[in-house]
Amino acid sequence: MGATPKARVRILGMDAGGTMTDTIAVDDTGTFTIGKALTTPHDESVGFFESVADALSYWDTDAETVFPQLESAVYAGTTMLNTLLKRTGKRLGLITTKGFEDDVLMGRGIQAWISLPYSDRLHSVTHRNPERLMRRRNVFGVTERIDLFGEPAIPLYESEVEEAAKKLLTKDIEAIVIHFLYSYLNPTHEQRAAEIVREVLTKAGSDVEVFCGSTVRPVIRENARLNCALLEAYAAAPSRTHLFGIERALKEQGFAYDLQTVLAYGGLCNIRYPRLHETFISGPVGGIMAGEFVAHLLNEQNVIVTDLGGTSFDIATFSEGYVPVKPEPVIAGFALNLPTLDMESIGAGAGSYIRLDPVTKKIQIGPDGAGADPGPVCFNRGNDVLTISDCNVVLGYLNPDYFLGGQVDIDVEAASRAVKEQLADPLGVDVPSAAEAAVKLLGVSAQDSLRAVAGIRGLDTADYTLFSYGGAGPVHVFDYVRDLHFKGVVTFKFAAGFSAFGTTVGDFMHRYERTVFEFVPPGIDNASKAELGARMNDVWLGLEEEAFAEMSRDGIARDDVALEHIVMMRYAGQLNDLEALSPVARVGSAADLDEVVRAWEALYARINSRVSKYEAAGYQIYGLGVIARTSKSKPELQKRALGPETPEIDAGKGMRKAYFDGEWYDATIWEMDALHAGNVIHGPAVVEHTMTTLVIPPDGHARFDEYEFIWLERD
Amino acid sequence: MATSASRPDTGEDTLLDDRALAGIRAKEVLVGKLRSEELFEQTGHYCGVEHLTLKSQDPLAYESFHTRLLSMVITARETSRKISASPGVREVGESVVALFTPDGDSIALSTGIVIHVHTLSRFIKWMIDHNYEDDPGIHPGDIFVNNDPFVADVHQPDLMTVIPIFHDDELIGWAGSVCHEIEIGGVIGGANMGTTAERFGNGLTVTAERIGQNDEIRRDYWIRAEYNLRTPIYWILDQKALLAACLMVRERVGELVESYGMDYYKQAVRQLIEEGRRGHLERMRIMTVPGRYRNPAFSFHLQEGKEGTSPISHDIMLNIPVEIDIRPDGHMTIDFDGATPQSWTPFNCSIAASDGILLVAMTQFMDYDGRVNDGTYYGLDIKAPLGSCMNPDSHLVSIGGVFSVIMPVFGAWARAMSRSYVARGFKEEVFVGMVTTPFLEGGGINHFGQHAGGQNLEGGAQGSGARGIMDGIDNAYAGWNPESDMGNVEIWEQALPNLYLGRRIIPDNYGWGRFRGGATMASTWVFYKTPSWVGHSTLHSDLMFDNAGMCGGYPAPTAKYHHLVRGSDYKQLAAEGKPLAHAEGDPSNPDVLNLGGAYELVEGYFHKLLRDGDIVQFIYNAGGGYGDPLERDLDLVLPDLENGYMTIGAAERVLKVAAHFLESEDRFEIDRDRTTALRDQERDNRRSRAIPVSEWMETERKRVANHELDPRVLRCYAGSFQISERWATEFIEFWGLEPDYKPEA
Repeated sequence: MGATPKARVRILGMDAGGTMTDTIAVDDTGTFTIGKALTTPHDESVGFFESVADALSYWDTDAETVFPQLESAVYAGTTMLNTLLKRTGKRLGLITTKGFEDDVLMGRGIQAWISLPYSDRLHSVTHRNPERLMRRRNVFGVTERIDLFGEPAIPLYESEVEEAAKKLLTKDIEAIVIHFLYSYLNPTHEQRAAEIVREVLTKAGSDVEVFCGSTVRPVIRENARLNCALLEAYAAAPSRTHLFGIERALKEQGFAYDLQTVLAYGGLCNIRYPRLHETFISGPVGGIMAGEFVAHLLNEQNVIVTDLGGTSFDIATFSEGYVPVKPEPVIAGFALNLPTLDMESIGAGAGSYIRLDPVTKKIQIGPDGAGADPGPVCFNRGNDVLTISDCNVVLGYLNPDYFLGGQVDIDVEAASRAVKEQLADPLGVDVPSAAEAAVKLLGVSAQDSLRAVAGIRGLDTADYTLFSYGGAGPVHVFDYVRDLHFKGVVTFKFAAGFSAFGTTVGDFMHRYERTVFEFVPPGIDNASKAELGARMNDVWLGLEEEAFAEMSRDGIARDDVALEHIVMMRYAGQLNDLEALSPVARVGSAADLDEVVRAWEALYARINSRVSKYEAAGYQIYGLGVIARTSKSKPELQKRALGPETPEIDAGKGMRKAYFDGEWYDATIWEMDALHAGNVIHGPAVVEHTMTTLVIPPDGHARFDEYEFIWLERD
Repeated sequence: MATSASRPDTGEDTLLDDRALAGIRAKEVLVGKLRSEELFEQTGHYCGVEHLTLKSQDPLAYESFHTRLLSMVITARETSRKISASPGVREVGESVVALFTPDGDSIALSTGIVIHVHTLSRFIKWMIDHNYEDDPGIHPGDIFVNNDPFVADVHQPDLMTVIPIFHDDELIGWAGSVCHEIEIGGVIGGANMGTTAERFGNGLTVTAERIGQNDEIRRDYWIRAEYNLRTPIYWILDQKALLAACLMVRERVGELVESYGMDYYKQAVRQLIEEGRRGHLERMRIMTVPGRYRNPAFSFHLQEGKEGTSPISHDIMLNIPVEIDIRPDGHMTIDFDGATPQSWTPFNCSIAASDGILLVAMTQFMDYDGRVNDGTYYGLDIKAPLGSCMNPDSHLVSIGGVFSVIMPVFGAWARAMSRSYVARGFKEEVFVGMVTTPFLEGGGINHFGQHAGGQNLEGGAQGSGARGIMDGIDNAYAGWNPESDMGNVEIWEQALPNLYLGRRIIPDNYGWGRFRGGATMASTWVFYKTPSWVGHSTLHSDLMFDNAGMCGGYPAPTAKYHHLVRGSDYKQLAAEGKPLAHAEGDPSNPDVLNLGGAYELVEGYFHKLLRDGDIVQFIYNAGGGYGDPLERDLDLVLPDLENGYMTIGAAERVLKVAAHFLESEDRFEIDRDRTTALRDQERDNRRSRAIPVSEWMETERKRVANHELDPRVLRCYAGSFQISERWATEFIEFWGLEPDYKPEA
C-alpha cells in the first residue's frame, strides 16, 4: 500500500459508511491502496468518486486509466439504510389477510424498545413504536386463510383482491406488497392475488411493481416476513436505481462488468439480485469477509473479529471457519427474519459522547455520538459534549497535527477544557486521570461484549485469534483485550479500510431456504429415516436448481458453483431453531441422518449448555437451505522477507508525552507505512497512519509479520 | 485474601466485620436474623456499608465490575430464551435472570419480568429461614425450584430456579432465574386459574424443593412434570433453560472472582446494593415531594353463577387503599391498611406478589438506571395487613387472579408518584399506569389431536396509560414486563387450536384525555380442528374500571365482555364468498352476527367448552388518559383518525372535535371553527351541570349513611371496616357518619 502499482488494477471495493466512504483498489500482484472521503448521503456517488480519486492518487493514477482494467467492482453503501431511516422510500400499498391490516401499525411490541439501552428498556415512558413505513389507509384486507398445516382454511375472495387493486390504483402509490399468513408454507393465495393485481395494473397501463411475501422471504413469523417485504418494496428495490447510477458512472469510464454488492450473510451478488433487502447490512459484513480472508491466509480456523469505529463496536466470530447466522436481526427498529452474519454491537466508539449521571455520577458512554460532523469537541465545529476522541487527544494518543493525515485541525486546548469541566471536576480527579478513566471504560465495555459473545457462543478465547480494525480499533485494542487471553491479537496497516477490503475478497454467493415440517421422533426406525432423508433431498434438490438457475443468469456455469447444505433444527416443541451446516449433501441412509442430527446437536450443546439437551423430545427439522457460491478474483497479499527488528531510521518521528496507567511517559512516535516485515516496536509508543493510530502501552510491543500484519503482545 | 497488583485496593469498611468480609457461610446465615438485615437495622446501611470505598478509590474498576455483572445476567437470559419451548418465553420474553448475595439480596438482574427483582430473594431467604442447610442441605451443584407464592412467587406460572454459588467450600452467592409457564396443570388448561377458590386448583406446585444435585435434575422431577401437565414440553424445556441460565451465571461469577479477587467481589456486591439503596433515596428526594399520598385501587369480579367458577366463590369488589408516605430523606412507606380481607375467591395476593408489583413499578419509574437491585427494597417499607387480600394468613387460598389484585395497585402507585413528578416539574416522567387485561387460556384436545393446554399471552402487549407529554404506548406495554410483546400469530397458532380471523386495533377503546391511553387490540378466533377445548379468560375486572385517568383524563375502559358464536357457519359462508367477521365492528351490532350459529354476549368471565367452528372475539384492555380531552391538540387527532385509532363520531362526542373525511382527497379534515364552538359549548354545558362539591358530598353522604349502595359494594366496605379500625374511623370521619356506623349489605 502506498507504492505505485506494479501491475494493472483488477479490483475496486467501496464501503460508504455513515461517516466515511472508503475505497480500496487492488492490483494484479495483490498490492492495494486505500482512499477515504466523507460520505455524501444526498448523493453517494460524489463521496464515492472523491474516495476513488484519493485511493488512486497514492498510485499517481486516476479513474479513467484504471476503470477499463477492472475485473470487478463491489459497492456497499448506506443509501438503502438512509432511505429507511429518513422515511424517504416509495409510497406503498399493501394487500394482506383480512383482519391483519393493523399489523403495519402494531408491528411487534418489541419494536417499541428493542433498540434501546438497558436503562431505557426498563424505563417504560421512553418506549415508542417506530414511525410507520406506509399509510394505514393504503392497506386493504382480503378474505383468505391458509392454516398452520399449509392447507387453505378459507378460500381467497378474488373479487376483494381486484377491488383492492383498483382502489390502490387511485391512491398514488409506487409499489404494492401482497402478504398473507402462512404464505411461506403455501403461496398459492399470494400468487393468485399477484396475478389478479397484475391484470388490474396491466389494464390500467400502470407500471407499479408488485412484491409478495412468499417470494421476498418465505420464512415463518408473519410480522418479520411483512417487514422484509415492505423494506424490499420501500427502500431496497428503489436503491437499485442508485446502484445502477454508480454502475453507469463506472461504465462511462470504461468498466466492463456488472457492479456487485454485499449480502448480509456474507458473499456478493449482482446489483440486479431480486431480493436486494438482503444487502441492508453490508458494511460490517465486509469486515467479517476480510477477517475470513486473512484468517485463511494465516491458517487460523478460529477467529474473533472486532471493528471499533466512530459510534459502535462490532464483534463477530468464526469457529472452524464457520460464521454463525442470526435469523432475526432488528434493523432501524424493524424485526426481520433475514439471516445475517451474527454480529454483536454495542453503541460505543471513538466518537461516542461521555456523560455523567447527575445522581449516581456513573460514567455513561454513548449510545449517541458526534460522528464526523460536527465531530468531537476538539474539531471546534460546534459540538461541546465530550467524546472519547477528545480524551485520546488529551492523553497524547492522537497527533493533533496528523489527524486524517493533517486534513483536520485539532484543538487540544478545547478537548482538555471539556474533559476538565464535564468529567474531571465533577469526579474530583485531575484531567488526564479522568480522560484515561473514560477511555478505559470504553475498553471495559468492549471487553465485556467480547466476554458476552464468547459466553453465548460457548467458545474459549484462548483458542481464538482476535483481529482488530476500524479507524479506532488500533487506538484501543491493547485496552480491550487486556484481561482476556487470546491465541493472538492482530491489527493491520489498513485497519481503517478493512471493511472495504472485505468487499473485494468475498465469493459470489446466494442463499436459499425453505421452511419444512419434518419430525425425527425418538426411536425412529431406519426405513422412516430413509424416507425422511428422501424428502430432505427433494427440498435440497429444488433449492439447488433454483440456485443454478439464478447463478446462470449471472453467467456462472453449473460446474463453477459450489454448494453448502444447511439444516435448521430444534428439539420438538422448541420455538427457536438453530442453523447448522449439514455434514452430508444428501441423506442417502439412516446413518446419514444420524450424522446430520449429531452435527446439529454438537453445535446446540456448545452454544446452549449441555444441560439443555433433550433427546427424548425428538427433533424437528424446520428449515433446509443451500448456499451456492462461486469464487471470483481476489486480492493476493504478498509475503515479504522478514527484516531486522529495528526499524529504518526514517520511520521514527520523535517523541511525545502520552499518559498510561496514571503516569506521563515519553512515547516514541512512528510512521506506520515506514515500518516493515520483521520490525518490532516497543511501548510506550504511538504508530501513526493517515487513517488510524496504533497506541502501544509501556508493557506492550507490536511485531510486523511477513504480511506486515501487526501482532500485538504483552512484554 | 490479598488482591492482585492490577486490582484496586479494597480499603476498609469499618462496619463490615470479619465474618462479613470472609463471606457469610451458609451455616451462619441460618442462625436467627440474616447478618445483612441485622447490620442494616444497626447502622441504617445495607450490610453496614457506610462508605462506598471501592467506588471512591477507583470508580473505573467499580464501574467495570458492575458492567460485567449486568452483562452476565443479560447474556444468560438471551441464551435461555433460545432453549425454551414456550411462546411465553421465546416469543414474548417472559423471563428474567439475576445474581444474589449469599443471604439472598439481588445484586444485578437482566431485563424481562423484573417483577421478580425481590421474589427470588424471598425464595432464598425462605430456605435459609427454614434451615435448608441442615435438611435437605445446600451444596455445590444443588438445584432448587419454587413456584409457590406462599414461599416466594407472584403466582404459580412463574417457575423459579436458584442454584448456590460456592467458591471452594464457601457460599458466595446464588444465581436465579424465572420464566412464565403457559401451562401448569391447573383445574383448567393454561396458567392463571381464574376459577378456583382454593390453592388446590392452581396447578402443579413445587414448594421450595431441591430438584437436583451435581448440576443434574432428578429423573422423578421430569416424570412428575410429564404426568401432571397437559403440555409438559413447555415446563421441561423451560426448566432446562432456567438451569442453563443459572449455570452460566455461576460460571461467570467464578471468572469474575478470579479476575477481581474474592475480597473485592464480596465488598463490591454489598456496596452495589448499598449504592442502589442510596441512589433510590436520592432519586426520591429529587423527583418527589415529601408527604402523604393516597390512591384507592379497586377491582370488581363477577363470579356467582358463572360457568366454571367454584361454588364457594362469590362476586367480589376489592378495595385496596394505597397510602404512600414519603419522608424528606426519600424513604417511602407504602401501606395497604384497609385492604379487603382474603377470601375464598381467586383474588388474593401473597406478600411476595405485593412486593413484586411495587418493585417492578419502582424499577420502571424510579430506579431504571444506576443500580437496579435489592437496594431499592432497603429504601422503603411495605405494609400489607396480614389476613388481607394483599397478604393472606393462609396458604390455602387461591391466587389465580392475583394480577387482578396487583395491577390496580400498580396503577394507583404510578398515578400517586406522577402527581409528585408533576409537582417537581418532571412532567415527562408521568405515567398513568395500566390495567388488568384478560388473557385466553384453556385445555382439551388440540389441533394435532393431542391432549394439551396453554395460554395465549399476546395481551402482554396492551395499551399503556397516557404519559404526561404524550399518548400512552400503543399495543406494546405490560406493567409486569417493560419488554412487552404480542408475538406472531404464526407461532400462537402452533400452540393453541384457534385460527385467527383477525387481530386488529380497537378504535376509541382507551382512556381519553389531552393525551390518550395507548391503543389495544381484539382478536377474532375460530376454534379449529378441536373436538373439545375449554376456553377460559383470566384477569378481568368487571363492572369497575381499575385504571383511573389523571389530571382530567378519563379512566381506562373495563374489559367486561367477549363475543361468542357457537357452531358458526363460517365454512359454508366462506365457500359462498360471503362476508365473515374479523373485528368487532359496531359493538351494538357486532360483525360476528354475520356468522350464523348461536350468538352469545359473554359478560365478565369467559368459561366455555368450545369445538371446531366456534368463534370467539376476545377484547384486550388499555390504559387511562391524562389531561382534559377538550384540550387535545388537533394535530394529534388527525393521525389518530388517519390510522384508525379513533372514529369521527367518537372524536366529536368526547373530544368535541368536528372532523370529516374528504373522499376525493382521501384524507381527513378538521373544521377548526366548528371545533372551537363545540368545545366552548361543552365548557358551558359543564358549568351548567356543575354543582358545589359540598352539595354533591352531602348527597353521596346520605347514600352512604343509608346504605343505599350495591350490596356487593357495601360488603366490600364492611370487609375494610372489619380488617382495619383506623381505616373505618377515617371513613366515618370523612363522610361525617355516626361513630358506630358500619356498612350493611
